[in-house]
Amino acid sequence: MTPASLRFLKAMCVAAAGSMVLAACGNNPTTSTNLAADQTLKFPILGDFGTLDPAQLNAETDSEIAQNVFNGLVKFDNNLNIVPDIASAMPTVSADGLTYTFKLRQDVTFSNGDKVTSADVLYSWNRAAAEQGAYATNLAAIDGYAKVSANTVNGGAALEALLEKKDPSVILSGLSAPDPSTVAVKLSGPAGWFLSAIALEATTAMIVDQKVVKTDFDNWWTKPETAIGTGAYKISSYVPKTSIDFAAVDNWWGSPKPTLKKVHIDILGNAHSAINAYEQGSYDLYGYGGYSNAPVDDILRIQGTANEKSQLLLHPKVRTTWVAFNLVHDAKRPAAGPFLCPPQTKAMEDTCSTPAGAAAKNLRLAFALAVDKTKLATVVCHDIVCAPATGGLITKGLIGYAGDNTDPLAKFDAAQAMSLLKQGDPDGSKTKGLTYTYDPNNPLNASVAQFLQDQWQTNLGIHVDLQPVDHSAFIHGYLAGKYVLNRQGWQADYNHPQDWVDNLWGSITGCPDANCGGGYDTKAYDDAIAAADALPLEQAIPKYQAIMKTLEDDAIYIPLYYSQGAFLIKPYVKGAGTNNFFDYYWNQIQILSH
Amino acid sequence: MLTKGTLVYIGQRLVLIAFTVVAVSSVVFLGIHRLPGDALMSERLRGSAYQALLHHYGLDRPLLVQYWDYIVGVVTRGDLGESLVNRGLHITPLVLRELGVSAEVGGLALIFTIGLGLTLGIFAALRQNTWLDYLLTTTSVVGYSMPNFVIAAFLILIFGVWLDNVTGGNFYYQLGGWRGDIGQLWLPAFALGFPYASIVARLTRASMLEVIRQDYIRTARAKGLTEFLITVRHALRNALIPVITILGPLVIGIITGSVVIENFFGIPGLGKEFAQSILNRDYAIVIGVFTMYAALVGLANLVVDLAYVVIDPRIRY
Amino acid sequence: MATAVAAIARPIQFEQASLWSDAWRRLRRNRLALVATIYLAVLVAVALVSTVWTPYRMSAIGVTQTYAPPSAAHLLGADELGRDILSRLMVGAQVSIVVGVGTQVLVLIVGVPIGLLAGYYKGWLDSVISFVINVFYGIPDILVAMILVFLLGPSLRNIIISIVVTRWMDMARLVRGQALSLREREFVEAGRAAGARPVKMLFGHILPNALGPIIVQATFGIPAAILFEAFLSFLGVGVQPPTPSWGSMANEGVASIQYAPHMVIAPSIALSLTLMAFNFLGDGLRDALDPRTRR
Repeated sequence: MTPASLRFLKAMCVAAAGSMVLAACGNNPTTSTNLAADQTLKFPILGDFGTLDPAQLNAETDSEIAQNVFNGLVKFDNNLNIVPDIASAMPTVSADGLTYTFKLRQDVTFSNGDKVTSADVLYSWNRAAAEQGAYATNLAAIDGYAKVSANTVNGGAALEALLEKKDPSVILSGLSAPDPSTVAVKLSGPAGWFLSAIALEATTAMIVDQKVVKTDFDNWWTKPETAIGTGAYKISSYVPKTSIDFAAVDNWWGSPKPTLKKVHIDILGNAHSAINAYEQGSYDLYGYGGYSNAPVDDILRIQGTANEKSQLLLHPKVRTTWVAFNLVHDAKRPAAGPFLCPPQTKAMEDTCSTPAGAAAKNLRLAFALAVDKTKLATVVCHDIVCAPATGGLITKGLIGYAGDNTDPLAKFDAAQAMSLLKQGDPDGSKTKGLTYTYDPNNPLNASVAQFLQDQWQTNLGIHVDLQPVDHSAFIHGYLAGKYVLNRQGWQADYNHPQDWVDNLWGSITGCPDANCGGGYDTKAYDDAIAAADALPLEQAIPKYQAIMKTLEDDAIYIPLYYSQGAFLIKPYVKGAGTNNFFDYYWNQIQILSH
Repeated sequence: MLTKGTLVYIGQRLVLIAFTVVAVSSVVFLGIHRLPGDALMSERLRGSAYQALLHHYGLDRPLLVQYWDYIVGVVTRGDLGESLVNRGLHITPLVLRELGVSAEVGGLALIFTIGLGLTLGIFAALRQNTWLDYLLTTTSVVGYSMPNFVIAAFLILIFGVWLDNVTGGNFYYQLGGWRGDIGQLWLPAFALGFPYASIVARLTRASMLEVIRQDYIRTARAKGLTEFLITVRHALRNALIPVITILGPLVIGIITGSVVIENFFGIPGLGKEFAQSILNRDYAIVIGVFTMYAALVGLANLVVDLAYVVIDPRIRY
Repeated sequence: MATAVAAIARPIQFEQASLWSDAWRRLRRNRLALVATIYLAVLVAVALVSTVWTPYRMSAIGVTQTYAPPSAAHLLGADELGRDILSRLMVGAQVSIVVGVGTQVLVLIVGVPIGLLAGYYKGWLDSVISFVINVFYGIPDILVAMILVFLLGPSLRNIIISIVVTRWMDMARLVRGQALSLREREFVEAGRAAGARPVKMLFGHILPNALGPIIVQATFGIPAAILFEAFLSFLGVGVQPPTPSWGSMANEGVASIQYAPHMVIAPSIALSLTLMAFNFLGDGLRDALDPRTRR
């Protein structure tokens, strides 16, 4: 409404006696008369999803879409609290913290009408664990996971046959279904992160219908007739790489009941075209579907456009980007470089801060302090799409965040950097021929790389070459220890520090030899994370913070920035939005008349 | 026209095309598998899960075994395999669908190229050495001297931003079955075709000038409109021959130009698919698209050579 | 009287009109080609200067406000990282020239001998070479170039190699045609009768007479190569940052076309003017060197 008509309406309200006018005076007119007749939501995404099979999916787009099609026992609500979903209530936990008992709702059905029972839960989890997709480790705390994860039949009709037979090699021994509406989960050890992992939307803990999965074990999700889930929406048509349509499921068991009848997604590939189309009215939203890293210049332009400014929603996302140093050089990690921590003995002690490792540590500190992170955020991100990472690697807003300006590695001190450089490399020989490797797929990475090069040149007088390597090769490379200096980043899956410490450093993830950036692994680290992982979250927080502090003390990274997402939402779209992790579910969205 | 000689010729050419397609496809297949990095790798994929994926696609078999399976699949079933990035996506239907889209834009560009090019060339020739001639000639040099994405960018600036017109700022392509909206297609088709229209214009002008001289035209015009038109038609007939000559390279040029233009406008055609798949390291699709292109180019050249026969009855195969 | 006698006494000088001086004279009269040559000379000068000096260091980030429009301090404005566009444009000229000239040098080295061999010897050698040439023609060049650059890694050297691999056939085919027609001429017959060795025949007799069209082809090949590199950069497989190339600058500019149009205009005009200049020069050379065309 324009301000003028609003004033008029207010005047009317004051003078009104009739109830009809009073109804319109309410602040949030959500009566059905305000809803548009055509409840179709249209928005663009920039790349097709890879898969919608919960056992396999691992990309943000996959999960932002699949979260509306599948459900798990528990889920995160909009405020990131864990609440029951298919379960009727939060699970009862045994005294020793090892057994979780879930009671299922009686009214949950798949979109084809099949009733959901505990057998479906067991089937889904066993299948996901046996397939060993990217997020299979969400189920790692369950007793028997180690055996199932070692099975070699990872898909196809063969795996289906094994699951039907209940072959022990693919059945998690810790799962049991005492009756059709009860699931009992026995963990192999206390794990405070277990509930967070299985609440993770759209991934391995989501429930699928064995009846349809059987018909085409690997590709059942590609056809609307067999892409069956328990969510409020189901695929109604899919043209690969072009568009996807979803329709609301009739008589859906959950709440709020969906208002949107249809969701239409176009796959466009070009962010500028997508934003232009949004501005022209072809789309109701931009940024949904995992594509919230909008180009900076478009955001600047929209911020300068009067009638569009209010449609822009900027929200922190749980992603941190930093520079990783190569710390280990051995038979499996070919890269060397001047930043290495001294070699450890079999006891895996932390050598990074010992006198022997002082020179290398000074160099790491020098490189860290020579980068002006505030200037980076201003110049590269225009203070819009990123903010300097001053509180440690765990993103601001997440549990485990250390607090603003607590990370000494985030400081900028060119003089100090120079003096540390002199101490670490007096004759300048060690810092010759360095290369910073990055993947240029996200345009921000290239800008950041050039910024870093400029900073090290200006503030340290050191020339560092830039090496762009395509994303998949890049991942191969840094996991294989090929790079001395490289970009690294992490997007949190759920609000639990375990997601960070278990997956980035230490032997759980494969450090120091493989599957690890930087190579950091010490016995102290492994012990610390094992202890913290076993505790319930509230008790574990100080332990996790201590772990992150160790990383700071050892100076194994250069923190760069926390990411921000940008969304465009038309004023007539109600209920759309985002939290740090995911875009709000579609069944919460309504289209007002406009 | 369709003599035995012609049929034999067509047959020979088809064999040559098939051979080239298989050869080219093989080279790309074998070469691309050596590329570092692949689409399957991700930050979270560990040991056995990665191996599981490799196994699903048969990528853990020896290279020659994979190659043989691939060739057999292509030749017998026309099966180009499964996408590495989008699981369950079969490449052949995808490529065929995108071919339709590219053909639409490319076809429009081709019509535009020949139509505008011939028109400009004719006018320039008829008005030789006048200001119109110089204007058209210079425009055409500018036309093929500018990269097509620059032309596209300026068109967008003019029509989309400053005039906020025609495309209404919608420079993206909305798929409506197989028929795209001309209102959205003309801009990419123009950008795609303009460089080649310029070349056609220059060629037409030059060859028309060879055939007719100015006083001949003046005389013909003085004698009356019919005479004039006959002269022009005769000149045009001969002028078409060099145009047909470059039609082959022209089609190839439009095909390669479409890689850039489709990416620019987000048109879901073969060109965009190719560029995206290379960037995504989806080798399965890269090989599939490349094979399709090789076949396309071969067929285009064949059609052009056959068009010669229509234009110039003296040519026989 | 004396002057008239002196005039008659002085021998009449006929200008020795060789092909080259004749061509040079005609080229000089072609105004467009002249302007183009001047422009290219300036371009080369700018590129040379940029190796030692640019108004700002071309990779210096944040020397001014990002996306800054043209101003007195920054004649062409700044890009998305606040770098001076004029400085980057100057360095980009280096890339364009190196690509343009470098590819043509290699194309000459590869294409000329192959073409000479095919055209002069004919027979099975010609059949094989022609077949190979036709196969190469049957493949869209950008696709091959993209794959090649990906195989070898994006760098200036590999881009040059990719362009040469996909475009050498133009030169080879031209030279082959020249050799085919020249071999029938009398001076070739004479040379062969005199027992001249093949290398001398090819490089001493045929090549010099084919030089005209070869030069024209090479001149047209330069803008084609520069355009090709611009395409590759636009698609993201060109020279990598922070080295600026006009193509990648145009790519960055296009992305911000609505917010900061100056970013795309500068490299686009530079590209277009340079390509135009080479094309006009090539036209002029062709008209000058081809004895058959009349103005």
